[in-house]
Amino acid sequence: MTDDKVIEIVNQSLVEEFELDPGMMTPDVFLVEGLGFDSLDFVDVVVVLQQAFGIELREEPRVREVRTLGDLHHLVIEKKRELEGLKQQ
Amino acid sequence: MEMSEAKVVGSRKAGGRIATWLAIVCMNIWVPVMMIVATVLAIAAFPFLAAVWLLVTDWPLGKIMRHFVWLYGRVWLWIVSPFVRVEYVGAGAKELARPAVFVANHLSFFDIYFLSAVPAFDVVIFVRSWPFKLAWYAPFMRLAEYPDVERLPWESITESSHRFVGEGHSILVFPQGHRSRDGQLGRFHSGAFKLAQELGVPIIPICIKGTDRVLPPGRRWLAPSRVRIECLEPVDPSAFQQELGHIKLRKHVKKLMGACLAGN
Repeated sequence: MTDDKVIEIVNQSLVEEFELDPGMMTPDVFLVEGLGFDSLDFVDVVVVLQQAFGIELREEPRVREVRTLGDLHHLVIEKKRELEGLKQQ
Repeated sequence: MEMSEAKVVGSRKAGGRIATWLAIVCMNIWVPVMMIVATVLAIAAFPFLAAVWLLVTDWPLGKIMRHFVWLYGRVWLWIVSPFVRVEYVGAGAKELARPAVFVANHLSFFDIYFLSAVPAFDVVIFVRSWPFKLAWYAPFMRLAEYPDVERLPWESITESSHRFVGEGHSILVFPQGHRSRDGQLGRFHSGAFKLAQELGVPIIPICIKGTDRVLPPGRRWLAPSRVRIECLEPVDPSAFQQELGHIKLRKHVKKLMGACLAGN
């Protein structure tokens, strides 16, 4: 799966599950201030992305450092690569 | 002949516009003055009324306060009644007496006041931080045990909600969080739906229509309107128990409310 495809799925999942405006889904948008996420939404984001990509995010400390949508894209791309690397081993 | 008919229609339209503006002027004098009088009287009378209420019913003070808030809302309905026709459609007091999580769309500052048209008397309203800055309301909101959902952590909200429901009270949440700027249903947050699942109580959607004509966000004057408040059938959250079920529940309830608001 290409990075662009990962970004597309992340954006699509968030738009569908959190009723967001697709026009707002730019990498520099802040999740709290820009997209209006609250603490409960963050818990749901983790579950939604775990289901969409089969990755483990619940125990991932880097989740706490995510501020923007771009940060989230990077984290999912990294986790996806780690998962694919593990599968190849 | 056609010219004279056009003149009649034109003068009727002009007359209608004058009547509307006259009603707006009268409303903006009558309603604020009467609300100030009602609020001052309510604040002055509350200690005495609460003491009598306490003696007669032996209810906790929070429950008395919530009933008092509902009565205050009924006074508002009476004050605006010359200018606003309010229609309530839905279940009666008996059906609404059991604990539930009410969710309502949000159009105007006065939605809370108009919601006293709903015969549910013992409702804990989840509010944001700014209403606690209204000095004349804040002490009564605290007495009524309304949680400041912007300030409190989720764990604290669920803990107190378990107590509210255990004691037989209901909860009211505006899942949009803010008043709608365009009259449309905005994004729903998940908290109310997650809470209903955790508490095991039904969600009762309330559809509010017409309060944005009375006072939409950003306008400083009141206008006459017709307001319709409709309580939909309760939705059982146990049918949405899977992972992220509260999101499905939220979408389901929003769809029901959207259909209700579009249909009336």
